[in-house]
Amino acid sequence: MTAKPYRTSVDIAAPPEAVYPYFTHADAIVAWMGDYAVLDAVPGGIFSVDINGVPVRGRYLELDPPHRLRISWGHAGSDLLPPGASTVEITLTAIPHGTRVSVEHRDLPPQEATKHAVGWPHFLTRLTVAATGRDPGPDTFAGTRTG
Amino acid sequence: MSTDAALKALAEPHRRAILRLVRDDARSVTEIAEHFDITQQAVSLHLKVLREAGLVAVRRDGTRRLYLIDPDGMSSVQEFLAELWPAGLDRLKRAVESEWSVANWQPTALPPTRSGLE
Repeated sequence: MTAKPYRTSVDIAAPPEAVYPYFTHADAIVAWMGDYAVLDAVPGGIFSVDINGVPVRGRYLELDPPHRLRISWGHAGSDLLPPGASTVEITLTAIPHGTRVSVEHRDLPPQEATKHAVGWPHFLTRLTVAATGRDPGPDTFAGTRTG
Repeated sequence: MSTDAALKALAEPHRRAILRLVRDDARSVTEIAEHFDITQQAVSLHLKVLREAGLVAVRRDGTRRLYLIDPDGMSSVQEFLAELWPAGLDRLKRAVESEWSVANWQPTALPPTRSGLE
């Protein structure tokens, strides 16, 4: 049993060719996701990114530059979502003046398995921001966009 | 582990500070205690509470015990991703657009041509 896929998207003012490397190059991916990455962007190649202490581990399943990627995704040490357990599909669609980046995250464990948790990464991020003396701004936790 | 236990664990400022310390790197009690004015014993007690709440896991490194955020206890997978993807894509947008616009602005940043000045 799995949860329904998680979907979101964003529009970027740059062509797909300029966006695609941000999913395949370690130096580029850490500009927006995670602190440390080891990537081997070939079919079956390693996708390893550490994000806020969560070791995300998976493999590139399919690459169709600069339009689409499919990546397996799990968390090292996690029983709920072990490495390779779920799949992320990223689609880069050319739109006027840019690219729509759509993310669909499939094969996630059901919500009931994890409902005790209350979004600690979000909480901790805000704590960290607050701790550095910056205003964390309005809490937009409920404002998750879907696409 | 339960929400109650997690909330109680997080109600104490030292424990929140400990969580921030161990969110990216596994650390020993000694390393953690260096960051606080409280005794190592007190830090150990806080770690025990965090472990029982499922927020922190222990890893053995030889004879040392290292503490690190527990990926399952710290977040529901859904919450982690619901935070990661939208915030991540916003950062992606900023990263791509800053680089792309810099690349595009360079021609217009050149001095005007001679013919343009005539």
